[in-house]
Amino acid sequence: MAEYANLLRRAWGQIRGHGGVRGLLLQFFRVNDLKTGALVGVDKYGNKYYEDKKNCFFGRHRWVIYTKEMNGKNTTWEVDGSMVPAEWHRWLHSMTDDPPTTHPPEPKKFFAEVHQFNVSGTPQQYVPYPTTRKKIHEWVPPKAGAQ
Amino acid sequence: ISNLYFIMFIYFFSPFRSVSTFAVQNGLHSSAKSGGTSTSVVPVREKSTAVAAAKPAAIASSKGEYVVTKLDDLINWARRSSLWPMTFGLACCAVEMMHMAAPRYDMDRFGVVFRASPRQSDVMIVAGTLTNKMAPALRKSKQLLLPCASSCANGGGYYHYSYAVVRGCDRIVPVDIYVPGCPPTAEALLYGTLQLQRKIKREKKIRIWYRS
Ligand code: SF4
Repeated sequence: MAEYANLLRRAWGQIRGHGGVRGLLLQFFRVNDLKTGALVGVDKYGNKYYEDKKNCFFGRHRWVIYTKEMNGKNTTWEVDGSMVPAEWHRWLHSMTDDPPTTHPPEPKKFFAEVHQFNVSGTPQQYVPYPTTRKKIHEWVPPKAGAQ
Repeated sequence: ISNLYFIMFIYFFSPFRSVSTFAVQNGLHSSAKSGGTSTSVVPVREKSTAVAAAKPAAIASSKGEYVVTKLDDLINWARRSSLWPMTFGLACCAVEMMHMAAPRYDMDRFGVVFRASPRQSDVMIVAGTLTNKMAPALRKSKQLLLPCASSCANGGGYYHYSYAVVRGCDRIVPVDIYVPGCPPTAEALLYGTLQLQRKIKREKKIRIWYRS
């Protein structure tokens, strides 16, 4: 009996923590995972950072819920790990215990003003190109009448 | 559940498999061409490796198209949520590949499970230096797989000038994702796997088949 009560309590906690059944489903389909925890901070793009040390083991105890729109791209279903800006990366990957909300990073001139995410596979992607002279030239068909 | 997916693979995907990588690649090239504005990179490429311009990817125009689109989504979802890579560790990078499988990075949670045989797997992570001696073996498994390379395998890396090393495994097989680094961290490799999943998500094999 006790375990059923526990199960119900946890289910109720999940539903309430995600703002109703709809929020729960949205969360589940977006990140394939259901976790509730303490909100540690929100960065300027709207990514939310959570932590739950009690119920999750190390490595799963910090997570991010990505924003739905970033740098003019709709990211509701197209989330990507590179959407986390540099200042939060440290904390999220357990390199440090100090989130940038309480310990703001020292300003450095190489920090990006606006964080750019990975553009591989989009029209902005980097395409490698040679800087040397071409060794192989394609055949240019001769025009009719131009001798 | 993975077994179920796998059965689905056998039914749905094997006839299309050989088409898939090229379809994606065509898409990539054409988008790169159309998007090239300021960088002087793209015209150079356009001249040397021109690809026939793809039809604009229109929004579903009819009911049949809609169904086909959704089928595509379903198949892509099934494929990308059970990527089974082959353990193709060739050198030091293989250690990082093992880290990716170990609990800290835990690739199993994305449905990525190592299989030891190319018959059962659909991705190959070429982790390490591809030598000339290994190249025939790599080429043999080519028809089955959707390879995903890392590190030394990208361009010879450290051993680029060695007489025994293939300078990049894309000289042997078509490659989808390149993960840089010597060795790439387990995190990078995991990110590469997620990029591969993203790439599969964009595939539209049935749509292409339906329209042609
Ligand atoms: S890239 Fe570096 S770590 Fe990887 S196989 Fe080559 S030498 Fe080893």
